[in-house]
Amino acid sequence: MQIITRQEPGKPLTVTIEYPEYTESVRGIIKRIESLDIRFSAFSDDRRMHIAMSDVYYLENVDRKVFLYTGDDVYRLDASMQEIGKITEDSDLVRISRTCIMNTSHLTEIKQLKNSRLEAMLDNGERLIVSRKYLRDIKRRF
Amino acid sequence: MPVRKILKDTCILAALMILAVFTLSIIWSGITAEISLVLALFGLALIITVVNFLFDEYLSLTIVVSYIIKYFVFSGIVMLFGFIVGWFFPSNFWMAFIYVGVVLALAFVIDAFTVKRDIGYINEHIRKGNEQ
Repeated sequence: MQIITRQEPGKPLTVTIEYPEYTESVRGIIKRIESLDIRFSAFSDDRRMHIAMSDVYYLENVDRKVFLYTGDDVYRLDASMQEIGKITEDSDLVRISRTCIMNTSHLTEIKQLKNSRLEAMLDNGERLIVSRKYLRDIKRRF
Repeated sequence: MPVRKILKDTCILAALMILAVFTLSIIWSGITAEISLVLALFGLALIITVVNFLFDEYLSLTIVVSYIIKYFVFSGIVMLFGFIVGWFFPSNFWMAFIYVGVVLALAFVIDAFTVKRDIGYINEHIRKGNEQ
């Protein structure tokens, strides 16, 4: 695969993909690039904010309410985990437990603790518990 | 890994062969003792798979505690199912503990090995990504 980049002043960021035939990996690349444009409409103190997917560290379902965590802030999201799962398919966001979706682009390490629980460490110092059941889904993102 | 793929394909093919042969046998000669045994095994496998799914989805336990609880729950299911379909009698019901123990011990070893390998793979890719 060749990667060609060139600066075009005054033009919007454009990604052109050339392929000999449309395969699963091409579809995956397109979905991944499209996911970079995904923004979540979230609330902070009743103010609506648009959060880019790259800024999301993780999403958590607490008492049937979904919260979105960036590096420093927490927002409330009006969507179910299933809806988020569909939107973020083939993106860096991956389910790591029944109640949590993590952005793998902020993942720095996965550790197996002494009690054999799994822990994901994020680049802002946050630690999340990973269910063994979802470890394979995380692996597929790499 | 080709060995893994061959084993997986073999299992799928075997399941398809059993399904095809048994479907024809049921049409021609009805449900025989062998067919009902396989159907019962499929039924038991379905029940255990559903219970296992619910365990993994809703309980967050350490691997050892999780396997210990599963051992007793699955043994109970196998025993109850065995009594219903006539596999076990009051004199030999304890055999369920042995059957379940062997299967779970294998599952535990495979689980522990797979998790360690997957963690290594993920951390290696993160490290390579950071170096680039």
